[in-house]
Amino acid sequence: MIRNYLKIAWRNIRKHALYSTVNIIGLFAGILFFFLIGAYVWSELQVNRTLKNAPHQYILTSEWKDPNMGYDLATLGPLALRLKHDYPNLVKNYYRYDGITAIVSKGEKLLKQNVQMGDSTLLEMYGFKVLHGDPVTALHQPFNVVITRDMALLYFNRTDVVGETLAIRSFKDTVHDFKITAVLDNLQENTVTGLTPTYPSKVFVSVANAGYFGRTDLDTWQNNQIASYIELQNGVKVTDLAGPIRQLLKQNTSAVVQENLRVNPVLLTRYHLHRNNQAVLRTIYTLTLAGLFILLMAVVNFINVSVSSAGTRMREIGVRKVIGGRRRQLIFQFLSESIILVAIATLLAVAAYPVAGGIFEGAVGKSIPPLSSFPLYFIGIPVLFILFIGIASGLYPAFRLSAVNMIHAMKGTLQSVGENRLLRKGLMGFQFAVALLVSAAAFIITQQVAYFFGKNLGYNKAFMVSAQVPRNWSKPGVDRMIAIRDQFAKLPGVAAVSLSYEIPNGNNGGQVPVYKSGADSATALTLQLLSTDEHYLSTYQVPLSAGRFFDGYHRDSGQVVLNKTAATALGYPSAAAAIGKQVRVPGDPTLFTIKGVTDDFHFGAMSGKIPPLLMFHINFNPIYRFLSFKLKPGNVPASLAALQKTWSALIPEASFEYRFMDEDLNILYAKELQLKKAAYMAGVLALVIVLLGIFGMVSLSIQKRVKEIGVRKILGASVAHIIKLFAKEFVAALLLAALVAIPVAYWLMRGWLQNYAYHIRISGGIFVIIVLCIACITFLLVSVQTAKAAMANPVKSLRNE
Amino acid sequence: MLLQLRGIYKWVNTGINRTFLLKDINLDIDEGEFVSVMGPSGSGKSTLLNVIGMLDDFDEGTYHFMGEAVQQLKEKQRTALYKQYIGFVFQAYHLIDELTVYENIETPLLYKGIKASERKALVADMLDRFQIVGKKDLFPTQLSGGQQQLVGIARALIGNPKLLLADEPTGNLNSKQGEEIMELFKQLNQEGVTIIQVTHSEKNAEYGSRIIHLLDGHVERKGQ
Repeated sequence: MIRNYLKIAWRNIRKHALYSTVNIIGLFAGILFFFLIGAYVWSELQVNRTLKNAPHQYILTSEWKDPNMGYDLATLGPLALRLKHDYPNLVKNYYRYDGITAIVSKGEKLLKQNVQMGDSTLLEMYGFKVLHGDPVTALHQPFNVVITRDMALLYFNRTDVVGETLAIRSFKDTVHDFKITAVLDNLQENTVTGLTPTYPSKVFVSVANAGYFGRTDLDTWQNNQIASYIELQNGVKVTDLAGPIRQLLKQNTSAVVQENLRVNPVLLTRYHLHRNNQAVLRTIYTLTLAGLFILLMAVVNFINVSVSSAGTRMREIGVRKVIGGRRRQLIFQFLSESIILVAIATLLAVAAYPVAGGIFEGAVGKSIPPLSSFPLYFIGIPVLFILFIGIASGLYPAFRLSAVNMIHAMKGTLQSVGENRLLRKGLMGFQFAVALLVSAAAFIITQQVAYFFGKNLGYNKAFMVSAQVPRNWSKPGVDRMIAIRDQFAKLPGVAAVSLSYEIPNGNNGGQVPVYKSGADSATALTLQLLSTDEHYLSTYQVPLSAGRFFDGYHRDSGQVVLNKTAATALGYPSAAAAIGKQVRVPGDPTLFTIKGVTDDFHFGAMSGKIPPLLMFHINFNPIYRFLSFKLKPGNVPASLAALQKTWSALIPEASFEYRFMDEDLNILYAKELQLKKAAYMAGVLALVIVLLGIFGMVSLSIQKRVKEIGVRKILGASVAHIIKLFAKEFVAALLLAALVAIPVAYWLMRGWLQNYAYHIRISGGIFVIIVLCIACITFLLVSVQTAKAAMANPVKSLRNE
Repeated sequence: MLLQLRGIYKWVNTGINRTFLLKDINLDIDEGEFVSVMGPSGSGKSTLLNVIGMLDDFDEGTYHFMGEAVQQLKEKQRTALYKQYIGFVFQAYHLIDELTVYENIETPLLYKGIKASERKALVADMLDRFQIVGKKDLFPTQLSGGQQQLVGIARALIGNPKLLLADEPTGNLNSKQGEEIMELFKQLNQEGVTIIQVTHSEKNAEYGSRIIHLLDGHVERKGQ
């Protein structure tokens, strides 16, 4: 019997090839999107779960009352170590690291790498698979290094490289060989080796190298930038740590820190999903919802097309009933048809997964796991999916069609089924509403993203290129780099060059508490610290509000420059009023004179208000990372080539890896750009599915109404009249959907825009444009389809009665 | 007595008027009869046939089929009853276009849940009897009207019904094909199948043992 159902179903599908294709394409798109989202969600949920003893692995995060005082993803250097040493029955193990960017080289290969300088416990604590070497001793000694398989292949083209050496450059311009003591298998995504997911570390050295790299000792309590992890003993609750942490802070830190800092141990498996205001979790929810909606649309489409196309199958249904088909048997037959269609769509989706994955990756900013990486039992998912969606989408048509009155059915005069106008319009309206909602969201996101990159940055990003330079953070190091800078400035394609620690990408080096000279030091405000040279302002073309910028040539001793926000925050009535005033840093007797006040510019992302900034000259705060070049408009590739050439001559120890400011902003706004891509994808999908649905319904409607068209034409209807006849229905559904979708979209998108301190205003025009666009596309589609029927000779359609 | 209709009324309400489709039909049909129902368009022939075939309800009166009071049966029981004892033949053949000749004939057996081997034997018999073995893999659209109707009759007979209901079985056929079909009916009747046919043609009606004339929903006169 089943075989018979399948056979008949297959023939029916082939006979109604057009509708089957429409159905399959719609379902295929929906299912593919759903699978991709499923894969993404799965991979996000896998993060940190592969770590050994994952249910007991925690990261110590910091909550600073004044967010300018420290990072939330790091904490005080010795805390994790002391927890383990002082409370061994609570804490089983600990790992801390200081992340550094260093040039790692082997022979000709000079490459910047993210290096973790961390505790020797790393390899054992998390059970990372070691391909070669001894995990116990690998990170005990200075000048030893552990690398991943990727790195081994990159530098040596093989993996058994224990005993080989890699040269790592310090920040004091010295180079030392590091002996490879272990090679790890490639690491699955986790927040230990990849605390910032975009820059996972693949090179690990011991904390014993702190001196070589000139880093603050991990064992001083003033160091608040150390990523710290602990593993709890079995049966210990995380709340049991609250007391010990408070105790340790009390013993070792100042009242200010105790006042401001709360250390929260967070379960690693939870941390990945919940950090950054639950960013990943929210993405998962948003995408899952989008996926479900798209899938629902596809299913709705399927139902719509099935029910409408049933009109042409009424006679068959009637005959089947008369010759003894029971309702249940008919239901089975319809279900087997829908299951076959869903199966085809699902198989196509699985086949298209690897290709579509590449496009989808751009939207979620993360590679989608290949099919081969799923556990074997995942093979059951498409099977269950086929059954579930097949039944879900086939059930309604099956029940509806098998319930028809057979006498009517036999006569083929069935008005009741295909003509269930209200339901069909309702479903159509739902699809339109989703399409409108998603398109409006995509539109508004696009506008906001354009705003990020627009003219109100406060500086001019056009033709800005920056490159990281090797570090030698000493006075002579700075002097040498300034000399190099001046060499670059002489190039004909270069308008200006600046040496600084920061570029406006949101990553600044630190904070500094500042108060007005003469006031109580307790009134100190935390300002974001920038270290720049005297060309910074002119290179980035930030306007100066009052006073002067740095002069250079060591003439800026004791001088600082503020931004407007900082001047206001410190209580000066105007920018000009701040000039020449003196400020102090608590605990430092130096009096700093305010030399200038700049206009506000967006140093970080627009999600936050522009923070108060304070700038030191790099002569007096000798740290630097970037050379920023303002190129002259014109032949940019030639200018870059000239830069490259000069770089090789002046800085042979590092490669010239440059980025345009736009690329930096792309990184800064990666999430938003991803969201934009995701919204586009969802928008296009939603629209395609809606249009497929309309296409299917119109062609069926035409088929059913051929006679009506003929009669109307004989009565004098023009082609336009007839097109209108068909389009009317859809445009009405669209307008109705707009009434629902627009307020929802407005409300949702306003909520999203609230995340940004600086954002666009939603104008009603956007919605009008979108509704009009979709209406036009719908009308066009209906016209094209109807035109043929409308132009046919009515005699023909009326004759075949 | 195969079936007995007493005071059967069927109507539809159109606004305030009630239009009668069947009016006070009283009819007894014995096993082995071959009854022809005649009458002009709209006289209620097909409605009567559908009521007898239990495809359609009636509003008043009693209907006994093989001793069972049809009006008292539940939908399910009624379906079971007609499925077991009644075969239908239609003017427009009503074969399922997606199925081959073989499958069309086989479908009622599938719905009855008969085993594959038995099904095969029954269908083969039927094909043989109607001499359409060579056409068994063709689809209905590949056959002539007469051949299609043969398949339709074969399908109606495959369940071995007691009663064959035929609604203008020759209406779409030319006279020669029509004659063949009527000869077939006669032969079937002789083999013991009770037949009720609706027809426009006096000539075809003559094949029957009894003719019933309908006019505006009631029986005009009964004749031999």
